[in-house]
Amino acid sequence: MSSLFIKNPEKIRRWNIAGNFILAGAGIAVASPFLWVLFASFKSGSQLNNPTLIAFTPNLENWKIVLNSGIFQSALRSAAVGIITVSIAIIVGSMGAYSISRYKTGGSATRFGILAAQVLPPAVLVFPLLDLAYRLRVNGTLTSVIAAHLSLVLPVVTWFLIGFFDAAPKEVEEQALVDGLSRFQAFRKVVLPQVGPGIGASAIFGFVVSWNDLFYALILAPGNAATLPVRIAGFNTFRGVELGAMSAAILVSVIPVLIASFFIQRHLVRGISGGAVKF
Amino acid sequence: MSFRLRMMGPLIMIFLAAIGYPLLSSFALSLTNYKITQRNATKFVGLAQYKDVLQDRSYWSSLTVTLIFIITAVILELAIGLAIAMALQNQKRFRNFTRSFLLTPMFVTPIAVGLMFRFLLNDQLGVIPALLNKIGINYDFFGPSRAIYSIVAIDVWQWTPFMVLLLLAGLESLSKQPFEAARVDGASPFYTFRRVTLPMLAPILTVAVLIRSLDASKVFEYVYAITRGGPGTQTQTIQYFTYKTGIQFYRLGQASAMSYLLLLIVISIVVVLFHRIEKVRAME
Amino acid sequence: MRRISSRNAITAIFAIAVLSLVSACSSSIKDTSATGKITADTTGTVRVLMEGVPDTDVVKGLLAEFNKEYPKVDVMIEPIAYDQIRDKIVASFQASDPTYDLAIIDNPWMGDFARAGFLKPLDDLISATSGYDYEDFAAPLRAIGEVDGKVYGVPFYNYGLGLIYRSDLITTEPITLDELAATAKKLNSSARAGIAMQPQTGYKAFEEWGNYLFAAGGSIYGGDGKVHLNTLEAKKALNTYIAMYKSSAPKNSLNWAFDEALRSVSSGKSAMMVSYNWMLPTLNKVGGVSGDLAGKFKLATMPGGKQVLGSWDWAIPANSKVSDAAWAFISWITSKAGEAKRVSAGGAPARIGVLSDPAVSSTGGGADYYATVTKILANAEPLCRGSNCDEMITAVGTELNAAVAGLKSVDKALASAEEQANKIQTP
Repeated sequence: MSSLFIKNPEKIRRWNIAGNFILAGAGIAVASPFLWVLFASFKSGSQLNNPTLIAFTPNLENWKIVLNSGIFQSALRSAAVGIITVSIAIIVGSMGAYSISRYKTGGSATRFGILAAQVLPPAVLVFPLLDLAYRLRVNGTLTSVIAAHLSLVLPVVTWFLIGFFDAAPKEVEEQALVDGLSRFQAFRKVVLPQVGPGIGASAIFGFVVSWNDLFYALILAPGNAATLPVRIAGFNTFRGVELGAMSAAILVSVIPVLIASFFIQRHLVRGISGGAVKF
Repeated sequence: MSFRLRMMGPLIMIFLAAIGYPLLSSFALSLTNYKITQRNATKFVGLAQYKDVLQDRSYWSSLTVTLIFIITAVILELAIGLAIAMALQNQKRFRNFTRSFLLTPMFVTPIAVGLMFRFLLNDQLGVIPALLNKIGINYDFFGPSRAIYSIVAIDVWQWTPFMVLLLLAGLESLSKQPFEAARVDGASPFYTFRRVTLPMLAPILTVAVLIRSLDASKVFEYVYAITRGGPGTQTQTIQYFTYKTGIQFYRLGQASAMSYLLLLIVISIVVVLFHRIEKVRAME
Repeated sequence: MRRISSRNAITAIFAIAVLSLVSACSSSIKDTSATGKITADTTGTVRVLMEGVPDTDVVKGLLAEFNKEYPKVDVMIEPIAYDQIRDKIVASFQASDPTYDLAIIDNPWMGDFARAGFLKPLDDLISATSGYDYEDFAAPLRAIGEVDGKVYGVPFYNYGLGLIYRSDLITTEPITLDELAATAKKLNSSARAGIAMQPQTGYKAFEEWGNYLFAAGGSIYGGDGKVHLNTLEAKKALNTYIAMYKSSAPKNSLNWAFDEALRSVSSGKSAMMVSYNWMLPTLNKVGGVSGDLAGKFKLATMPGGKQVLGSWDWAIPANSKVSDAAWAFISWITSKAGEAKRVSAGGAPARIGVLSDPAVSSTGGGADYYATVTKILANAEPLCRGSNCDEMITAVGTELNAAVAGLKSVDKALASAEEQANKIQTP
């Protein structure tokens, strides 16, 4: 893909070098803590107290503890909650966001009202949510966790998409209506592909919010169904943080999302160019 | 029912169920003296708690701490995030891998990030101070008037990827023609950035800054894992203060009043800002 | 007219919301079992929320033996992190259908939970259990579980503090606060700090400094039951504490808590720390956290002999529907025989008798260690009694940290700590 900004090849080269420097710096900043975590996951208790120790015989004890702690079940649980939450949020949120962006439905009151729940701390909302869960008899199930996560994810996804719909050009959609598509068809077949990157980004972010949530999952989920963050936080004990085991658990929690995000990104880039050809 | 309302229907329904009820309940709580350990003595007290909160100096100092945190963190994240997003857009090889990899900090649950940095930045046990010491630098990461910026740095590490994610998606969804036109006209890169990229990206920048600011206002885990609000109360953020009041000290009614006051403040700021932005846009 | 009706509507909505929340939260407490007489065929599933620590693993390891005596009681232990126990158990207390039938309670929560009606009084169950010997629990530990003249918690294990030091570096234990300061200063070098401290804002600062206060001859509560921290002893204690932080603690350790201090001492980077007495066996364990330093650590009482005490107690939630089965388990695990098994397996003790049992003291920490633990448990006091303890401890600990950070003078910090503490604890 050629650069969009620059006119002569010399400048393109300079620009790319600057870009590569930025990326290298960012890469190092991101990688270093993970490298430390990787080392820590193979260190014994006393080796952990020596921060600059790099050459040592790897110790598999931490990994044994973590892999036998039911972490995979927790990861599956977290993934299920995250995927369900995000799917609902994307479908419902994109429709609502389109209506708000194009037709100014509800005016700015709706726009900002959506964010109200975003400001209130979970500490205040959790007991009412728990109470609601009891009323609907979904207490101690993952349904209540999904509902709580929707309260976090849906406003953000909706807001994201409002921004993307605002930024998307209107001409293509108007042409589609002229061509005889119904308004919903135009939305589904023409408008949505235009904001594909936005949908991908908000799906990733929404998933991250759900995947990382500790507080709601802790209080609303049944005790024997700990999600990943609850499991990871469990390594912070009254007798100190089990750094080695926690490090292994962090890596276990990051790797699947990293792979998933790799494929989502690839799919996205393809989706965009595909969309560009069509319209 | 009109098309636009039908499109809103599902959103409204989920909102009423998952958000409306807790919102209403917690607002009702804010008008009572509800305490978890004395729930049978719950009384309606009207706005009395709001008055108490307004006069509580800890509340205002927590708000100030939070505000400083939001401003420094979000500005840094926006600047770094935009630079990375533009660099990524121009990248040629290993695109998918770089993109996914640079997002990884987001995938770690914040409490673990907090604990991780608590040890990474520890003077005797952490690798960062150990390396700094080797080149003769002795920096107290969690000392007076510095701790808050160390917390900011941790937030920047974890959430700049969010900016990258959103801004990159924004850049990629922009229409290509204006850039082609600028290229043909021989515009300088800086000029193109200022006159083409930024204005076209404005709606997404606004959303990114707003969402990140609101999210940053909820900073809790790093404080909880590392400083517990110290030195003194220099890192006591509003979210940590509310958690302490409502959950640790059981005064859920008062914590609700704090939150609604915060909501009022935030909504006013947001509405005023947007009003301004709309005005500027209308003038252009 | 319109105004009135809209106001009525708001009032109605408000009333419904409050009523529904309050009614949903106030559980209808009706126990179907509690008879007090526990027989071998007591039946029930007891769900227990516990902390994921070695003490819990010890209890888990004893479940099979418990089931030999009570085959029909199924104890399901859910281990969870310390930070989460309270949020989770409080949520369970609110429910009409509880998530947990048995809980462990940290001492600062005891007053609030008991007075809120969250816990079942255990007096009748204790007196109905033959051969239980409740008086055998260390007196300061018993006092923690007793609120307003009733027993709500039976001691599970103690976390009394003590001075842990390197015996290869220190030959005479400091017996006054000044000696402690002098020892720390003498041992301080560029390679090793004299003492690893824990001045983190809130609980930790107060938990550590409380020991200094006792060592200076002070106390937290006066004879009038009020908090007295604006005293000469408290000022001496805080001045010494700050001086030691500046001269003998690791650099830049203002946010340090238990964990950092432990790691610093176990890796040889500090010579002493004030910490939980049961850390000694952990530190001395061959092949454990201390590496080559294992075996070189010793435990002493704080200078002056008195220290801060913490305790985890077993308690039965008032909304538990299987309190007989829960008591069957509590009375078994905390009985003299159960305690001996638990302590032999590495659990921290709560009964005094068990400490002089040669079968027990030959295991784990050794006779010397158990002798010191006996002394610690004989003269120890928690940071707070009564209501709103978490808030009172946090308030005092925040002032202490501010003084150490140099943000406030010692006098101002202590005056403010005392004022806040008394305000918080006044009903």
